[in-house]
Amino acid sequence: MSSLGMVLNIAKGALAAQQYGMNVTGHNIANVNTEGYSRQSPTLAPKQALLYQGMILGRGVETEQVTRSVDQFVENKLMQEKSSMLSSQEMEKYMQVLESIFSENSGTSISSMLSDYWNLWNDISNNPSGFSERTALYELSVLMSNQFKSLGPDLTQIQTDITNAVTVGVERINQITSEIGQINIKIVGMEANNVANDLRDKRNVLVSELNEYLNVKTFEQSNHSLSIVTARGCPLVQGDSNYELEMGGSNGDRVKWQDSAGNYVDITNYITNGKLGGLLDVRDRIISKYKLDLDEMAKEFIWSVNQQHSQGVGLEGFSTVTGTYAVTNSGEELGTQDSGLDYYKKISDGNFNLWVYDSSGAAVGSPITIDADTGGTTLFSLRDDINTNVSNVTASITTDGKLKIDADNGYTLGFSDDNANVLAALGINTFFSGSGAGNISINSTIVGNKNYIAAGQIDSTTGEFASGDNDNALAMTDLQYTSMDISQWTCDRVNGNTEGSITTTIEDYYHSMVGSIGIVSSSISRDRDFNEMMVNKLNTLRSSISAVSLDEEMTNLIKYQHAYQAAAKLITISDEMLNSLISAR
Amino acid sequence: MRVANKTICDGVKYNLGNCTQEMYKANETVSTGKRINNLSDDPVGLTQALNIRSALSNIEQMQRNISSGNSWLASSESALTNVEDIISDTKALCVQMASATTGSSQRLSAAGTIQNMLDEIISLANTDVAGNYIFSGSKTDTTPFSSNGTYNGNDNAFTIKIGKDATVEVGSDGDAVFGNIFTTMSNLKAALESNNIGGIQDAISNLDGHFDDISARISDVGSKMNRMDVKEKIFQDINFANTDRLSKIEDADMAEAIMDLKAREFAYQAALTSSAKLMTLTLVDYM
Repeated sequence: MSSLGMVLNIAKGALAAQQYGMNVTGHNIANVNTEGYSRQSPTLAPKQALLYQGMILGRGVETEQVTRSVDQFVENKLMQEKSSMLSSQEMEKYMQVLESIFSENSGTSISSMLSDYWNLWNDISNNPSGFSERTALYELSVLMSNQFKSLGPDLTQIQTDITNAVTVGVERINQITSEIGQINIKIVGMEANNVANDLRDKRNVLVSELNEYLNVKTFEQSNHSLSIVTARGCPLVQGDSNYELEMGGSNGDRVKWQDSAGNYVDITNYITNGKLGGLLDVRDRIISKYKLDLDEMAKEFIWSVNQQHSQGVGLEGFSTVTGTYAVTNSGEELGTQDSGLDYYKKISDGNFNLWVYDSSGAAVGSPITIDADTGGTTLFSLRDDINTNVSNVTASITTDGKLKIDADNGYTLGFSDDNANVLAALGINTFFSGSGAGNISINSTIVGNKNYIAAGQIDSTTGEFASGDNDNALAMTDLQYTSMDISQWTCDRVNGNTEGSITTTIEDYYHSMVGSIGIVSSSISRDRDFNEMMVNKLNTLRSSISAVSLDEEMTNLIKYQHAYQAAAKLITISDEMLNSLISAR
Repeated sequence: MRVANKTICDGVKYNLGNCTQEMYKANETVSTGKRINNLSDDPVGLTQALNIRSALSNIEQMQRNISSGNSWLASSESALTNVEDIISDTKALCVQMASATTGSSQRLSAAGTIQNMLDEIISLANTDVAGNYIFSGSKTDTTPFSSNGTYNGNDNAFTIKIGKDATVEVGSDGDAVFGNIFTTMSNLKAALESNNIGGIQDAISNLDGHFDDISARISDVGSKMNRMDVKEKIFQDINFANTDRLSKIEDADMAEAIMDLKAREFAYQAALTSSAKLMTLTLVDYM
């Protein structure tokens, strides 16, 4: 039965529904700038109709639910892309630092110093007895050694900075997972009856932020709580509880996950996305490689210069000479790893000449034979061999395991024709000391007397040497054109580091190393560009689905206002009708 | 597509960000004049540039080596030419002294002249370049000949490098150049003093040989100087080509760079204007 009372009821329901609509619109307008907010809209539906005497009577409107406009697929895709974007953004940031360290714009770049180094040997070959040429070579070598030595710590510093950034990230991750756990409880409680729109938005924002730090997978359970799993299948959130990450390892630079039994799982190498993924990739894959490569280059550079230098002679003989490379065990064969020599691999079977000069300059040469194999020459046997076979010199082993050869008073000594490479491997009559970018220095013998820079060579038959002889300097200048096998590393975070080798000149090795930093860096920048573009596109897509449009909300406002006014009118008219009914009595 | 307020704001931010980034890059190129300002700007070009720079540095060094070698060869040439003149003068004197009409007293006084000439040759053989004796082998700090003609140097001629795998002997083993001349001159002096015409005639034929020998050495020095000149010219050409290549790789085309900057500026201005208009539009204003 239709009645005015029913009309009033309909009007009341309509007023409530439109007011509810205004309410939601207001909520939308208020959250127009809220990150991660999804616009909401009331679903209005006609009330269950009334069947009366074969007639269906409408009973007005009711608000069924408030839905949030969200496409979970787009949300997930956006999170993934954001994760990649932040990864490449972090990488780009640190690559720029790496690039600046290897910058070629300054005159103090290693490459220009290497060119100068060979040029100065040319200058010495043009005037082997000149003092200023020797000093110039020495000064440049000091500069270059320092440059090598500062690059290593510079690279390590970036790695330390990255580890600090990772530590901060891990702290934030733990906060986020703990918050998600708490929200999980609330959602489970609330969604027994309704959809917890705003909490879901909030949880989405947190998951999105978690994605910004590392790669995670999410699963919504049937009770609407969200489970989150990260690298190596380690759960971060399960129901209301969260598992924390922490920094560990001997250097405190590993990311570890702790299970409920207190066992640690090292997930460092398996974090592939987000800021942490990018940071760790730069630290453990990119910078590690260039640190190793720089070291290999320095190692080969030092060796090739020393090997040539040890064949030569300076302007005067040595009264005493001490090696720069120490053995760890004087009883072990020099050509084996057990000897502890940095360059033990370079020693081969062969011999060298040890020349002794008396005060008149008369030379006596003694060949010293080296057997590089097992059962061959040890530092002890070399010392004894020299002492037995060469008069007027005394060989000894210093307390720190270096060979020392002293000439008797009034005598001097020199070396020639070392085809066993043993002198260079022991650091006798060499130019550089050290065996890598971190410890390259000038042999202290040369630091003390630049006349020991070996521009000439001792005549292998007469033992004579002349101050104008530039044979060794000329041979030294040839090294800049000489291709040698230099190790090159490939660093892989999961499979570890592998050593390869390329045949090239020292300079070309460095040039291609600098070039490869540029290539890595530019490809990261390209990735970053692409990821940013993808995020922008997906953001636009997400906005078109979920974001608030004020124009729309204004239109809705008017829509609800008019409907409200009309419903109010309905009441007025019903009232008038009731009045006329009453007054008709 | 539904365009929400966030869509507009995000779009404006992203696009203006891109514009400013590109403008910054374009400005960097214009203000440094270089195409490559970071390793990543053009890594392949950068590697080439590094190789070229090191080649250029090497060539400059080789040019320095050549110029140093040239001063040795020039001194050599002048010393040898003087020696050649002295030999030819000596020969003329010998022909005169070998004549039957010449008396023993004239021969005796000629012996004094020969001694002077010998001294002169020794002095020429002791020529040095910046303190380095050029006829001393590799013992460049040792005076090659004592006043009695004894050789103190060695047979290891001083060599310079004029390129990869290319060396030139610019000094000499003085004994090979002058040793026999000193013997001949000493013998000649003795023959004159002892009035020995046969000895003088022997000297004439020996001097002929020495003259040819020295001439051959002068032309050898000349050909070495030629070789170095040719090498120098080649280096100049390579230098020019490399500098040109380096500039093409490293340097920005300024006209292009400035046009590029202008274009980016224009795009930025346009984006600013349209964004500013777009962002302020709202239905609220009309209600």
